[in-house]
Amino acid sequence: MLRFEQVTKSYSGGFVALDRVSFHLEKGEMAFLTGHSGAGKSTLLKLISLIERPTTGKVFINGVDLSRVSKGQVPYVRRDIGMIFQNHKLLMNHSVFDNVALPLVIEGFSGKDMTKRVHAALDKVGLLDKVRCLPHMLSGGEQQRVGIARAVVNRPPLLLADEPTGNLDPDLSKDIMNVFEAFNQVGVSVLIASHDLSLLARMRYRTLTLKNGRMINDGLTSYGADE
Amino acid sequence: MSILFQGRATGATAVKQSLWHRFVMFWVHHLRQALTSLGEIWLTPASSLLTVAVIGVSLTLPVTLHLMVKNLQQVSSSVDQAAQISLFLKADTNETQIAELIALLQANPEVADVQFIDKSQALAEFTAESGFGDALSYIEDNPLPHVMLVTPKNTSSVAASALLSTLQQERYVELAKLDIGWLERLDAIVSLVRQVAIAVALLLMVAVLLVVGNTIRLMVLNKKDEIEVMKLVGATNSYIQRPFLYTGIWLGFFGGILTFLIEEVLLWWLKQGIASVTQLYDSSIALQPLSLAELGYLLLVAVALGFVGSFLAVHRTISQIEATGI
Repeated sequence: MLRFEQVTKSYSGGFVALDRVSFHLEKGEMAFLTGHSGAGKSTLLKLISLIERPTTGKVFINGVDLSRVSKGQVPYVRRDIGMIFQNHKLLMNHSVFDNVALPLVIEGFSGKDMTKRVHAALDKVGLLDKVRCLPHMLSGGEQQRVGIARAVVNRPPLLLADEPTGNLDPDLSKDIMNVFEAFNQVGVSVLIASHDLSLLARMRYRTLTLKNGRMINDGLTSYGADE
Repeated sequence: MSILFQGRATGATAVKQSLWHRFVMFWVHHLRQALTSLGEIWLTPASSLLTVAVIGVSLTLPVTLHLMVKNLQQVSSSVDQAAQISLFLKADTNETQIAELIALLQANPEVADVQFIDKSQALAEFTAESGFGDALSYIEDNPLPHVMLVTPKNTSSVAASALLSTLQQERYVELAKLDIGWLERLDAIVSLVRQVAIAVALLLMVAVLLVVGNTIRLMVLNKKDEIEVMKLVGATNSYIQRPFLYTGIWLGFFGGILTFLIEEVLLWWLKQGIASVTQLYDSSIALQPLSLAELGYLLLVAVALGFVGSFLAVHRTISQIEATGI
């Protein structure tokens, strides 16, 4: 589903954010991406969502070489990837419904089809009763769940999450992770960047560990892998 | 269309819809976006009003000049009707020769009417009207020539001067005179004003483009965060720019309407002054306001300016905003 081949990303000035990173995330697999801040987690996610392009090496999604995707095609690639952001990236002056409906509206949905899908997505994250609220009326955890609903509303085969539990207390984090697991169980590939080691330890999924831009561990979480 | 996952139906194509339904939805969608843009203008009244005011005032000047040209042309064409050629005959022309000339002129297809003024009749008129009556009685011979007033059929200045030069060739004619000098001057002034109007219109249109462009650019930058989010969830640049283009169109439209209103007020205000001037000239010329077709053109131009101005600004600005995302 998602494959990195010897991917290096260096920025002008010589800073190397990723150094010859290779891994393969299978279809329907769920994995964590971890490491200190500055280890290259965000850069890795940016390369998948085509916010950045690799300096050398190749990224494949479903066998398609992303370096062959032209600038004009980038929006269409992003429609196939559900992205969840640490700071939610919600439209603060639009209702929860409008926020979740945004990807559908962009793809030309309207009317009943759209409403049905938005309600289904909000139902999955347990926010169906907040459909008319504005984001600032919601708690941090609820806002994060709105972000998840938006990411899954057009049923993408691949889900990326950047620190989805960053600012949440452990109970809420657990809830959010359960939501991801539920999507994974219906066949969605999930990659979650997180530095919440205790959470990773509890979840026991495959964990990719980055340190100074290098992939130093690829396997089940082991305590102190990062220490 | 899915690039990564062949056969993954996405978007509205995922739902089977008839062609007609999609066609209708296309227009419904555009109408909705147009109305949304109108709402956005309503939400930021201060900056929008300023822009509309600038467009309105800028377009008023060329429209006023256009109306000036139009009304001056009306004056010159109505005066043209009165163009007459005076033929001053040679002093030794006798009665039979005069009759011969009158017959000749009446046969000319270019001539509408011929009026003969005998030289003694002319002297009597001149004595009565000039106030030189006493002085004239000292002159033994009548110094005035016989005069024929010829009214041309085609009263345009070009045709009248052509007729003038043919009549000049007539055997008994000493001098032919057509008093169109001031008409030609008026025509020249009108075409000068028209040229000025075009130059001013072009300059002010550029100004309108810049003003609309700047307003829209600020609107885009104000929504930078929102645009970033839209880019992250897969909106194309053309999708993102569409509401801004509608905003530009609305700004142009309201600017055009404002121009029309200013113009109407201006005409109403000038009406009294112009009426008293035309009264002095004993003329029945009525001030011509903007016609319906001209109002249509004005709105079309204003809307086009709004659209082009916003397109130029939006296209650049939106492609510059890149999703920084994660």
